[in-house]
Amino acid sequence: MEEQEQQSPRTSSGSGGSIISLRPLKLSDVDDFMAWAGDPDVAHFCRFEPYTSREAALAYIAGTVLPHPYFRAICVDGRPVGQVSVTRNKSPADACRGELGYALASGYWGRGIATEAARAAVAEAFSARPELERVEAIVDVENKPSQRVLEKAGFTREGLLRKYRVLKGRTRNVVVFSRLSTDVDS
Amino acid sequence: MEEQKQKTAPTSGGSGGSKISLRPLQLSDVDDFMVWATDPEVARFCRWEPYTSRDDGLAYIAGTALPHPYFRAICLDGRPVGCLSVTRNEDRMEACRGELSYALGSGYWGRGIAAEAVRMAVAEVFGERPELERVEAIVYAENKASQRVLEKAGFTREGLLRKYVVIKGRTRDAFMFSRLSTD
Repeated sequence: MEEQEQQSPRTSSGSGGSIISLRPLKLSDVDDFMAWAGDPDVAHFCRFEPYTSREAALAYIAGTVLPHPYFRAICVDGRPVGQVSVTRNKSPADACRGELGYALASGYWGRGIATEAARAAVAEAFSARPELERVEAIVDVENKPSQRVLEKAGFTREGLLRKYRVLKGRTRNVVVFSRLSTDVDS
Repeated sequence: MEEQKQKTAPTSGGSGGSKISLRPLQLSDVDDFMVWATDPEVARFCRWEPYTSRDDGLAYIAGTALPHPYFRAICLDGRPVGCLSVTRNEDRMEACRGELSYALGSGYWGRGIAAEAVRMAVAEVFGERPELERVEAIVYAENKASQRVLEKAGFTREGLLRKYVVIKGRTRDAFMFSRLSTD
């Protein structure tokens, strides 16, 4: 497995020797972005409706991704196949926590890629933000694969929050997970 | 327990025949507000520091309480002895939930007043907002008294959120509680 020294974090993992890496998502990535963001299977448990136009995708990248405090493309062998982000809270009382979000093109599921990307993103966010002590993730109660991603990425399941948010018109129960900057894997 | 029909939220009897009621907090309530808002015991597990000036109290009432979607004084025999609020989320995906906060003057603790006020407020806000299905409250792990208030008010404890919030300079664990409109 090849590891290269570079400024952005690198992880090397995945089946068949693929290299998984994170880097900022750019406007020029829009066609790769559409591969996961336009996929109803990917969007099923997500807050967004599948993107149907390149213009809407460009607007999202320009308006949300580029100014985001932490938003990365998940790349396999250098090609974007998903996204991962960690929010930042401005108020001092809430700055100790950030929320992790991610999405991966369905053709890349089941290979440990999201787990590896989540681990790398969390490590990078903790190291970049000294005030950050907790990264949390909120997952639909029916989204078992995503719960497994978080468990494998070293998150702790903290509880079930009832009727927490509305997804595709229905109120949903969600599971809350967290990883602390002080957590160590057993 | 005597109940009076009135346009504002119903009253309820507390211990010793005192009537608990909820009404909007007004600028003219500032001196009563300052009784609990200046008290370090009340502020101890809250995100705010005790108030030190009447002007700050007026600014809070004008800037936060008056425009708030749901902010009420907890009144005992008509006099404000605390306050509570339930947030409203504008985003359609988040509008099913609101967060409850409350504070009660320390001289009134231990009499079931907060639990009764919370019950009344939750019923009122569910009645007013059809899209609201969940009222949640986040209580710091050391704040046992407030956890008991929520349990008495019919809330369910859902989990411990580790290092959730910074209070008085330290990151704290907090319990998440909720009550649903269907509970």
